[in-house]
Amino acid sequence: MKRLQLQRWSSSVLSAQARTGGRLQHRLYNGIRHQSTASPAAPTANDQLIEEEPLASPIHPPNSRQSKYQLPSPPVEAARESAKLAALHARLYLPSRLPLETLARSLVDASADPNPKFNNDSLATLGHDLLTHYTTEYLLCTYPRLPLTVIFAAMYAYVGPKTLEAMAREWGVEFAAAPGGEVDPGYLQFKRMLPGTEPKPVTGTARPHEDQKHWRKSITSSVVYDNEFGDPVKGPKDPSEQSRQDTPNLKGVSAEQASATFVRAVMGAIYLHAGRPAAKRFFEQHFLSRHLNISDLFNFSQPARDLSRLCARENFEQPVARIISETGRKSRHPVFVVGIYSGQDKLGEGAGASLLEARSRAAVAALKGWYLYSPLNVRVPSSMEEEGAAPWKPVHVDLGEVIV
Amino acid sequence: MRPSLRLLNLEVPGSRALYVCSICRQEARPRPIVARQFLRHASSNADSLSERVRRKLWGTDNPPGLKDPYGESLLEKRFGKPKPQEPEEPQVEETNELAEPSDGLEPGVSYEPATTWHGLERVGHLGRWKDAPPSEADTYGSFAPKHKLYKKGPLSLAAHQAAVEISLMQALNRPLTHVCKVVEHDKPIFKLIWKTKVLPTSPNWGESLKFHNENAKKVLFYVFEQIGGTQPEAAEQEQAVEDIEVEEFENFEIVEDPSPPAPNPRFFGYTEPRFKSATSLPLTDPAIKFAFLKRFSQLSGHYFPDNIVSQITNVKHAMQYIQGQLHPKPTKLAEQLENDKQLQTLSNVKVFSKRQTTLHRDDEKGRRKLIESELRARGLLE
Repeated sequence: MKRLQLQRWSSSVLSAQARTGGRLQHRLYNGIRHQSTASPAAPTANDQLIEEEPLASPIHPPNSRQSKYQLPSPPVEAARESAKLAALHARLYLPSRLPLETLARSLVDASADPNPKFNNDSLATLGHDLLTHYTTEYLLCTYPRLPLTVIFAAMYAYVGPKTLEAMAREWGVEFAAAPGGEVDPGYLQFKRMLPGTEPKPVTGTARPHEDQKHWRKSITSSVVYDNEFGDPVKGPKDPSEQSRQDTPNLKGVSAEQASATFVRAVMGAIYLHAGRPAAKRFFEQHFLSRHLNISDLFNFSQPARDLSRLCARENFEQPVARIISETGRKSRHPVFVVGIYSGQDKLGEGAGASLLEARSRAAVAALKGWYLYSPLNVRVPSSMEEEGAAPWKPVHVDLGEVIV
Repeated sequence: MRPSLRLLNLEVPGSRALYVCSICRQEARPRPIVARQFLRHASSNADSLSERVRRKLWGTDNPPGLKDPYGESLLEKRFGKPKPQEPEEPQVEETNELAEPSDGLEPGVSYEPATTWHGLERVGHLGRWKDAPPSEADTYGSFAPKHKLYKKGPLSLAAHQAAVEISLMQALNRPLTHVCKVVEHDKPIFKLIWKTKVLPTSPNWGESLKFHNENAKKVLFYVFEQIGGTQPEAAEQEQAVEDIEVEEFENFEIVEDPSPPAPNPRFFGYTEPRFKSATSLPLTDPAIKFAFLKRFSQLSGHYFPDNIVSQITNVKHAMQYIQGQLHPKPTKLAEQLENDKQLQTLSNVKVFSKRQTTLHRDDEKGRRKLIESELRARGLLE
């Protein structure tokens, strides 16, 4: 595979001619899904947007104090003078090819500086797509039989906004009280929400019959209509509406949202400046290294029934629950150990205070054993992007979860 | 009835206004009986308990030791009965009479303590001191000159002069520090000193002089022979000698100022020594070192602290100390940090030239403009 010219994109990010609708996003957004609210619309719309920006904004000498107060975000030269920024760069062990100016830009939220040349919106979009892409392929290849709900929950746990906010806090990123040109570029700058603002439920999604609240939403439809965490998102807008959309964005964002945007922007900046291998390394070191016990994410309502359906689907013998051992049946605290067998094979085993409890525990254990199957030597598809990669062997693709 | 109530009833019964608490009443009552409880019964009382115990302990009617081993207590002094005259009393009086002359008073002179200061003998200035005209003792003459020397030329000139003078005194075997008695020589003498060369070959300063000519040596020896003698005489003699010398040295053709009454400039206008060899003279002998530094500090106006004196080993060191090279002033920590090359290169360290206050921190966090706008909104800030 030919190596992609990353430097060209990075220059487009740094230069004034920011092309948010570049090739990469074309490639990533060719799918059916309209991924996030922050994703830019068609490139033509973005070009129009940029041209509409007031280019003739008064440019003051950068060192004068008054001019700094008039800027919405710190000037680019301030990034070199900030000790906080350099310390953050060193603390995250970021590649030296990622300049401090870009790191400073990734700390400016769109609510602080609406100018897309100076905020982290485009970087965050790229970073968000990379993060979800890498996490999804990791989850699907490592646990090919996971149910969709568990995949959504695991995605949320790996790259959800709460996790990203916790990461930003662990990285030692502090918030500025209010954005402005005089603020140290090492602070995360965003316009805060007014106190008492209620988060509104998302409306205007692409889902048909959205107003029918009592209609059942299948989990499979979430793949199409909802975002990667299974939460409803706004549908794609016309370019004219998109430009109008930017004004309410100035109301302010929550600290969680701003922190998540910052972490995504850092990921995007690394990808642009240091290349794909560095981005993957950063993803492994900071995201995949976080421990997540996936077996805790399951929630079965009728495990015995599910197990029997599963066995029927896979042409196993019907599962039979047998008592392996028991103690104190007549006492106040009996313990039964029940195993579930399919023919001669024991699928699972569970202990409980009653026979039913022990049986359902055994069924849960059997189901988890099935769903949490993980092949050895997992390779993700994106590993083929590297030069000199071994020939691709197809990964295990499962039929999917049991539908009862 | 409880004792306190009984005490209350002793007073005017039924009047609450006159109520005095029992403790206060107890305090107010005459209490010889109470005090007596704490009295140590003097052993003078032969029937006292302690005396009886002592007798019993010793087994005799006349036990050894003091009558009262604890001395006379305060309580006993106050409340005790006046003791009957004891046979020891006359002896004490005798000793008192013997001790009286040791107070410094003549026997027979009665001492009467003064209550006011009138009529007492006065010590010190008898009249009003500030109205008296200033005497010679009242004028203060500083040891060091008013203006200190800082430039290298005058400093080496002063060092040269001091070295020549000390060498001369040592050659003459006179007390070295006496050179300080003459603060400034006359111009002809100074010229002779200026022309004299000091050769730092010998550790003995007395042998290190090389004079301009034989006559100069004679004159200088004669002049410095007088220094340290009785001052007025020496001055007269110097004057006499100088008169001769002025005549003698007129043919040296050194430019002279035609205005002698004007105050002489330092070193008579000389700015550089003729020979700079004096700077390498060693200061190993403590006596020479002390004398030289004393004269040098008199000429240059700089004070040498003890620790510096102990560090100085030659004349050059003394000059270096004055010029600030030997002990440069310690710089401030802030300046050191600011000039630290290593810190300048570290990107995650920022050294400010000014103290960073809460205002600065508010400013760089973006909080300051919020505070200011809020103050403006409340009319507390113009």
